[in-house]
Amino acid sequence: MSQNQDIKELLGLSDADMVKPLPQPTPWSRPFWEATREHRLVLRRCDSCGTYQHPPYPYCEVCWGEEFSWVEAAGRASLFAFSVNHFAVPFPFWGDLPYVTAIVELPEGVRMISNVVECDHEALHDGMELEVVFDDVSEEYTLPKWKPVGR
Amino acid sequence: MAKGEFAVIGTGEVPYGSYPDRSEFEIAYRVAKLAIEDAGIDKDEVGAVIGAAHIMGDSYNTELFFGRLPEAIGARNCKITASTISGGASSFSIRKTVEGILASGETDTVLVVHAQRFSQFSVNQLATYFAAAGSDPEWDVPYGMTYNSLAAMVTQAYLDRTPTTIEEVASVCVTLRKWAMLQPNAMFNSKELTVEKVLNSKMVAYPLTNLMCNVLADGGCAYVMTTAEKARRVCQKPVYVLSDASDYSHRSITSAKVKDFSGIVGSLGTLANRAYERAGLGPEDMDIFEIYASYPSVTLMVLDTLGVTEPGTSGQLVASGKCDPGGPFPISTNGEAMGMGHTGTGVGLSVFVESVRQLQGKAGRAQVEGARFLIENCGGGAFMDCHFTVLGNEVPGGFAS
Repeated sequence: MSQNQDIKELLGLSDADMVKPLPQPTPWSRPFWEATREHRLVLRRCDSCGTYQHPPYPYCEVCWGEEFSWVEAAGRASLFAFSVNHFAVPFPFWGDLPYVTAIVELPEGVRMISNVVECDHEALHDGMELEVVFDDVSEEYTLPKWKPVGR
Repeated sequence: MAKGEFAVIGTGEVPYGSYPDRSEFEIAYRVAKLAIEDAGIDKDEVGAVIGAAHIMGDSYNTELFFGRLPEAIGARNCKITASTISGGASSFSIRKTVEGILASGETDTVLVVHAQRFSQFSVNQLATYFAAAGSDPEWDVPYGMTYNSLAAMVTQAYLDRTPTTIEEVASVCVTLRKWAMLQPNAMFNSKELTVEKVLNSKMVAYPLTNLMCNVLADGGCAYVMTTAEKARRVCQKPVYVLSDASDYSHRSITSAKVKDFSGIVGSLGTLANRAYERAGLGPEDMDIFEIYASYPSVTLMVLDTLGVTEPGTSGQLVASGKCDPGGPFPISTNGEAMGMGHTGTGVGLSVFVESVRQLQGKAGRAQVEGARFLIENCGGGAFMDCHFTVLGNEVPGGFAS
């Protein structure tokens, strides 16, 4: 937190400037965030054609079906691409530097942007197997993140 | 659109960089006058004025939407004014709007204007805005995504899946700087770069160092477009639009249409070929490759698809110096976002304006001697789309009419 505090003092920022952005759920995405709050990772599957869609929209992108099931995901992913942030991020994230942002690919066939945590940055490589972890970032919201399997 | 139906006859541009005391309005009015003067026509011939809405500046945009430009520049016979925007792809969507107006016959002369002043915003305003612009506010931004981290992930994936090295990516910055050094209006036209300097600059988002990331700039440009018929009448060297080819992929990078992005833009694969075919030309006919990429690795991904090198090897081509001034494969001759400075919706317009200058023989020290044909591109969002355009100062096979 000290780096975070430093930039706040250095630039004379307010507490509001240091608040991290939270997800702003839509009616069709809310079940995802309600599940992560309970440390469960769920994905939306179309009842008509079986497509998993993430991010979800009001109706299925493939068949326009409007009936869905929220299905428990395996909680595994493989690292598709990553970057390690060192500088020039929005102020609320300054204290987390350096941190990893990544595209992860789930066996269900969807991709997500997320953080890879509890990892050696030097050892990151595409195709690396990951497992989900849950970060309670506020009273209301929990972000699913990923760590190398077995760590 | 028939081949060569429309042409650009004049351009205008102001210096790019940090000019906090120069308002968007001042930029817009100045470039408008410069472009009309360069076209050699009377301002009263302008029948439509199209403004590029700019990023973040609400008051300027409101004035555009409410018709300020034609009044301010004295376009007394203006019949149509509008604003068109599709982020980084705006140079394409604006030109399509212009072509539609010209095809309607309501006027034969359209002015396009872009102006941007990023220096009015604080660093955090800019960082926060661009984080949410490049990433999904619900799904990506809470993870601390920035536009640089997005480009860094794309670069990392490209390096992982092709033989390209980070030194070759750095060499793109060196080449773009060499071109910018020849441009009086470029933000970065005074100091040469080396691969070592680029690699040794501060790490921003691995694998991107500071000198691999573009810098936001104030700036603006304009051009005048007309029918081929009028262009031949009033202009010694009009620049004809020979063909376009377009594709859209996604909003969120996680939804990219093509899943294996050894080049995200490159995944738009055969798009450049379609543009070549529609123009009746091939890569061997191109004198310049005016690439809009904003990040050096993306320059390579676009270059990979242009038919001058095997996909994945354009890094070697750039590192060999063959894309430098004087080389056989000139790229991005104004230095693009990395050299001119990043003017938001204006990067594509500045690349287009430079393309026109080259084909009109007005590119000054950056002039590629005898340039006849070139291919240029633009794209917006988080690499959401790509548009290729072939331009020429002659029409292969002559005019359809």
